[in-house]
Amino acid sequence: MGYDNVVTTTAWSPGPGCHGGCGVKLYIKNGKVVKVEGDENHPFSQGRACPRLLALTQYMYHPDRITYPLKRVGARGEGKFERITWDEALDTVEEKFSNIKAEYGPESVLFCQGTGRDIGGPISFLAYSYGSPNWIQLGLAGHSCYTPRLGAMMATHGDYAVLDAGQFSEKRYADPEYEVPKVIIIWGQNPMPGCPDGFFGHWIVDCMKRGSKLIVVDPRWTWFASRSEKFLQIRPGTDGALAMGMINVIISEDLYDQEFVKNWTEGFDDLKRRAAEYPPQKVAAITWIPEADIIAAARLYASAKPAAIQWGVPIDKCPEGSTVAQAIAHLWCLTGNLDVPGGNVIARPAYGVTTYPFSTQEMHELYGEEFVRRLNEKRIGAKEFAMVRNFRGWAQPDLAVKQMLTGDPYPIKACWIQTSNVLGGQAADTALHYEALKKMEFVVVADLFHNPTTMAVADIVLPVASIAEKESFRSWWVPLQVIVPAVEVGECRSDWEINLELAKRFNPELAKRYGSVKDLINDRLKPCGLTYDELKAQGGWIMPPENSASRPYRRYEKGLLRPDGKPGFRTPTGKVEFASKSYEEWGLDSLPYYSEPPESEVRTPEVYKKYPLVMVTGRRSSVYFHSEHRMIPWLRECDPYPIVEIHPSVAEQVGIDDGEWVVIENDRGSIKRKAKVTPIVHPKVISVPHGWWLPEEDGCEPNLFGIWDINCNKLVHIGPGAKSGYGGGAYKTALVRVKKANGAVE
Amino acid sequence: MARYGIVVDVEKCTGCHSCFLACKDEYIGNDYYPTSAAQPNEGHKWIQLKEVEHGTGTKIKVDYIPVMCQHCVNPHCITSNNADAVYRRSDGIVIIDPKKAIGRKDIVNACPYGAIFWNEEKSIPQKCTLCVHMLDNGEKTVRCAECCPTGALVFGDLDDADSEISKLLVAKADKVKSFKSELGTRPSTKYIGIPKPFIAGEVILSDRQCDCVKGAKVTLKANGEDKVIEVQTDFFGDFEFKGLARNTDYTIKAEYEGYYPIELTVRTHASQNVGELVLKAK
Repeated sequence: MGYDNVVTTTAWSPGPGCHGGCGVKLYIKNGKVVKVEGDENHPFSQGRACPRLLALTQYMYHPDRITYPLKRVGARGEGKFERITWDEALDTVEEKFSNIKAEYGPESVLFCQGTGRDIGGPISFLAYSYGSPNWIQLGLAGHSCYTPRLGAMMATHGDYAVLDAGQFSEKRYADPEYEVPKVIIIWGQNPMPGCPDGFFGHWIVDCMKRGSKLIVVDPRWTWFASRSEKFLQIRPGTDGALAMGMINVIISEDLYDQEFVKNWTEGFDDLKRRAAEYPPQKVAAITWIPEADIIAAARLYASAKPAAIQWGVPIDKCPEGSTVAQAIAHLWCLTGNLDVPGGNVIARPAYGVTTYPFSTQEMHELYGEEFVRRLNEKRIGAKEFAMVRNFRGWAQPDLAVKQMLTGDPYPIKACWIQTSNVLGGQAADTALHYEALKKMEFVVVADLFHNPTTMAVADIVLPVASIAEKESFRSWWVPLQVIVPAVEVGECRSDWEINLELAKRFNPELAKRYGSVKDLINDRLKPCGLTYDELKAQGGWIMPPENSASRPYRRYEKGLLRPDGKPGFRTPTGKVEFASKSYEEWGLDSLPYYSEPPESEVRTPEVYKKYPLVMVTGRRSSVYFHSEHRMIPWLRECDPYPIVEIHPSVAEQVGIDDGEWVVIENDRGSIKRKAKVTPIVHPKVISVPHGWWLPEEDGCEPNLFGIWDINCNKLVHIGPGAKSGYGGGAYKTALVRVKKANGAVE
Repeated sequence: MARYGIVVDVEKCTGCHSCFLACKDEYIGNDYYPTSAAQPNEGHKWIQLKEVEHGTGTKIKVDYIPVMCQHCVNPHCITSNNADAVYRRSDGIVIIDPKKAIGRKDIVNACPYGAIFWNEEKSIPQKCTLCVHMLDNGEKTVRCAECCPTGALVFGDLDDADSEISKLLVAKADKVKSFKSELGTRPSTKYIGIPKPFIAGEVILSDRQCDCVKGAKVTLKANGEDKVIEVQTDFFGDFEFKGLARNTDYTIKAEYEGYYPIELTVRTHASQNVGELVLKAK
């Protein structure tokens, strides 16, 4: 098979679906993508690709893909849609949204997104141009995905930090400054299938090949766990206790970095007093991890130089996720592993280029303090939670769904849903979100396929371009890179195109600044000194310059982190704060602590008696991204059924065999799953993969692609579970029981 | 003359399925006559992943084993009555002729590795061709090995002592195995680290239960044999004996100075976790 040309670009979102960063080669023939491979010249992925990327052609040219705008013509749920033009679609949205703004105020429209991919830019530009403060991950209980960890890091050391796999240098592992971590703690993550948060999972394997030893914290044996020095099989939701126990050991045995703690930190004595409340014996009882293993793990991590921690979303989903994250961040600070080669390095986007304002700080820079202040007056959750008000500028999802139902303190009338399948995906308490969305006067969904959310509530559906069809850029840590359009599919448009067009209609000022998407991209790219076309022409990516704020190492010594140019960190005290001044200001405990899950053998023994198994949801599949890809045949063949992983002892007790359909239930409802009997889960835990709906089934109501039968989030209550408003979505700690399913369900 | 093969380093396979996807991408919708007709849209697994989870309790291993046509030197799929339809090239690649094998469903069942699939629509048996159309076109690698992100699949010329594959086979000679070698098929596909039973456990001292015991001596001896394998417990007090024979009785002895040793016998009908061995103080 010959090709007309090959386009090199960057993967980010529609297609592989993920957080992206990989270099991709698209082989084009007759205006179609016919083959996809990894780009071997790209420093991020070095030629590697994943199944979802390799299946891109099936995704792009799928017969069910939505390729032109639709409007609903039957009743909601009937699945009757009619083709309309882009003009009609955008005119309808403009008119409806303008009417709602006139009658109820712009805050009455929620702008809803899924996980943090390349949508933050387009959707925040649209929301703020329209005037709504309610940019939100609707359904994500406790906003429990990365935001609690980001907030904790910002509070602790004034910046974010990531495991150093040499990703900030084009020479990668061969960079003479780089060192491989001697020990890596993988804490609540299976990095390879998910590639989370701008981190390429294979980097951990790269480090293992270069000698890194692993400690893995997880309730479930992963490939990494079975290749670790030690697997700490933890009780779900108790990570905060483990972190405090490790801090206890490291301080009481003098294993901390005395030099770093003395010169660069504040609040050590306070932390020491707090950690004394968590002796390993007590922590062992809380976490199910043997005392000796907790002590040995703390010693191994603290004595290895350098050592690094790679952490995952279960930390956010712990009760008080932002305080659990704080405790874990303290581990890399105590041991002097912050911003050193092979440790946890401070991560800033290359050249400081961002696709959208991320922190309140950046919001002020882009929109001005006055506008941000006005947004904060009306933003859902900003009054109740100081951290929500002061960090990142998101609306609080649990309060939002309640407000959709009650109209208190002001009515919510419409939702703009983009890159999010609320009902088939992240929403805890699916039925509650279904009821709330049904109350909306007007719902727009921008997506690539029909899903339970479009079928249940969409009035207008807008067809979105895949990565191969759009002009965009990616600036998530490193490198700074462009996304290059290679082909067109139907009438699909990129999220940027759709949103900029609408944003300009609501905000004529914006139209003066940005004639086209490229104008906007060029404006964002300014700090790097190159335009989109220039960056594309020189290979499509750049790494941060040496001796700059966005390139490691030890920037706190060089005065590269603080706005005043002095050495230290961008915190109120200029030091790493073990006792956080920001947390204190936000009305939170300045020190980390452990909090028991809302439902557990300890906190609710009566519930535990009835429902003796802890349901952890969300284990990653290498072939699916959250609720996507179940309709892609090549991928579905690899992971065909909605399963539940059950320990053999539980299966025996309940009388079920491998492959048999079972019922999982609690007081919130029941679902059916196909049992996979396996020793990899803890005997007191079942693992239920999330995001399942069945595209091959009837999408109309009441079936909605089978979500009421198989979506595990039905069994998870909403939050907020955390005092900060961030964290505590109980996706990992709901109590359930399992029984045989009566009758065939296949 | 080259003799092509693949070495699968099982230890490195993370089960990502990229090889499976790359194979689909190469063969679905694409005919490569005379060596292969297009793979059907669904149902065929010319390369497939076997998931193996073994051990119990606190000692578990999760492995993935890619299985495809083994390109045997003595292929069972070639018999006296189908020599026209299936043939082995001089470079070692076994090919099912997509035209001459029409209607020959018996060829599917001849493979002891389950690597041949029936194409209902075209009425032909099909399997991995080792991307022979690419090799004949001058390419130096095959799709699955090319896309393997961890280097678990290594393709190359087994007759070239300087090739990566040959060097790997020499370097890990003690771990190289063929699948079902007892059948005399002599596969060109080789495996490093096919999971075999292990015995693992932990040593604990009765009076120091909250300390992991590093450096306790643990020995293993197959009953009826003289050879003794000795290991020391690691930082976490754990020990492990890998690569053991199946269905064999082993005697394990754990010792630490100042404590009474413990000895026990375990049978490897599967991997065994002997749990905590608590040594009493003298």
